[in-house]
Amino acid sequence: MVLVLALGDLHIPHRAHDLPAKFKSMLVPGKIQHIICTGNLCIKEVHDYLKTLCPDLHITRGEYDEETKYPETKTLTIGQFKLGLCHGHQVIPWGDLDSLAMLQRQLDVDILITGHTHQFTAYKHEGGVVINPGSATGAYSSITYEVNPSFVLMDIDGLRVVVYVYELIDGEVKVDKIDFKKTSSTHPAH
Amino acid sequence: MIKGKLKLPPLNNRIRKVFPDRLGSLVSGFEGIIKGVRIRGSVWEVEMGEELEPIPPNAVGFGRERDADDVYIEEDVVDTRVRIGPNKDAAAATPVLVLKSIVEEEKRSDFEYELSQREINLEKLQRIASTGIPDGGSLRATTWKLLLGYLPSSHELWEKELKASRQKYANLKEELLQNPSAYTWKKDIESSSALQQEDSDADGRLTRQEISQEDHPLSLGKANLWQKYFQLTEMVEQIDRDLLRTHPDIPFFSGESSFSRKNREAMKNILLLFAKLNPAIRYVQGMNEILATIYYVFSTDTDKENAANAEADSFFCFVRILSDSVDHFCQQLDNSSGGILSTLSRLSDLLKVHDRELWHHLEFTTKVKPQYYGFRWITLLLTQEFDFQSIFRIWDTLLSNPFGVQDMLLRICCAMLLCVKAKLLSGDFVANLKLLQHYPEDINIEYLLQVAQDISPDTSFYCLSL
Repeated sequence: MVLVLALGDLHIPHRAHDLPAKFKSMLVPGKIQHIICTGNLCIKEVHDYLKTLCPDLHITRGEYDEETKYPETKTLTIGQFKLGLCHGHQVIPWGDLDSLAMLQRQLDVDILITGHTHQFTAYKHEGGVVINPGSATGAYSSITYEVNPSFVLMDIDGLRVVVYVYELIDGEVKVDKIDFKKTSSTHPAH
Repeated sequence: MIKGKLKLPPLNNRIRKVFPDRLGSLVSGFEGIIKGVRIRGSVWEVEMGEELEPIPPNAVGFGRERDADDVYIEEDVVDTRVRIGPNKDAAAATPVLVLKSIVEEEKRSDFEYELSQREINLEKLQRIASTGIPDGGSLRATTWKLLLGYLPSSHELWEKELKASRQKYANLKEELLQNPSAYTWKKDIESSSALQQEDSDADGRLTRQEISQEDHPLSLGKANLWQKYFQLTEMVEQIDRDLLRTHPDIPFFSGESSFSRKNREAMKNILLLFAKLNPAIRYVQGMNEILATIYYVFSTDTDKENAANAEADSFFCFVRILSDSVDHFCQQLDNSSGGILSTLSRLSDLLKVHDRELWHHLEFTTKVKPQYYGFRWITLLLTQEFDFQSIFRIWDTLLSNPFGVQDMLLRICCAMLLCVKAKLLSGDFVANLKLLQHYPEDINIEYLLQVAQDISPDTSFYCLSL
């Protein structure tokens, strides 16, 4: 039972000053085993804050990040799942499912997590899952101002993952759940 | 073993009745056998020294009456005896190993006889168990289960009882030890199994199900399944740490092999279950030591089925053993009548009654209060004071006391003090404390238990605890 927090596009301090208070009160150290961050934090203070939540932190570089040393893409294995991480501004058209599927095949992962669009989406595509945790602070994106703060918590247990989606709608936290089970057969190699 | 052939004539009934508490009394009965061996003559003198067990000098200086048959004498004294004349005592001292093996065989057959009865005579079992249960086989495990009351005294009910208890344990485990994600998954499967099938094939947007505020891992609600799980993580970590430190020299417990991991996992389940069922006490450091002893004995049972179910059996026996001393682990109850301070003062009183001089020396002259050394002796049932094999022998006596474990425990603690009396009387605060906190390893366990058994039981408290 591994809890993995996926979030990104905070844009602190340029477009938002902090995570919403309700989110912050829920995120306490000790519960989460891994944090995956799509990028655009943008400053070191946010990195340090995330480190206090969980020492195992994975970040990829977003276009506004001030730390230049983050990688463009990252893959990691948690339990039976291979996770891929990328900010998403590199994949054009932004948020396009087929292009993201290309990236997923390239990284050879079961779950691909990208951001940049600031909208939560979760798709099942060709045996893998593409998740966009949205923006944790609700910062405006290049496309739209209407952004609800959201992030994702994944509970990986054996061959299945339960994705809890936390969204702040009208000042209230709404939690949704998505179940996903990995089929034991892997899709054909390229 | 004795060199050369030794043909033992059949044991006569007289010997059988003298159940050997001390080797000396046994020896007198073996006169008939020894005669046949005396032919060797002078060769004996040489071999004698080799075969005697080492006797701690303290035992001699205790000032107790020794009769001629007693083997607990210093080596040089034995030698002079040999030269004086080959009477029964001299020859008795020689084939100690032979005697030991005869005793072992006799004991083993006695136990097997007792345990095979349809209706077990618990009093008789207690009596013979207090002299030590033979190692090997399933004698010790079965006897302990009987003494603790886990197995009923009626033999035919054993299978039914065991099956029921083991099933109960499995149910408890499933109910209380499941992690939240497994639990939620099971609930989902029960409620919407049909829906899952459709979604798993189609690509496209994944369906979202709305859930209540309480059902997610980050929920801050108190009643939430996840919150309860996280509250225990600290305790789970502590249990893990303690289990890693349990008996690091024994491969059964320590190391990274899958065998030792499995054992630690089983012990962790037992301790967690106990903590969940007893929220007032929860887990206290030290419980792992008590459990380790029980679990080891049950797992090394040669009966395959018993060994496979050692976890379930250990859980129930662990609960039974702790049931009368659980107050010792609760800090709030320290000062109550059942708490640890009260028990320690009883130890002090016991010592006062039996050896006022030593008591006075400890309490007033050197100011070594029982709290400083006795706390660990009593709460951990002496598991940290002696090596692992000796613990089994000591626990045989502890569990077989008709007046209860606590009573015998206090008597053994008192005996421990009496056995090192000479050193204590000559030591100051620092020396005495050091001695008592690192109890000497070369003490003769049989002798210690003999002293303990000679101390009369404190029956007044027994009535209270009923």
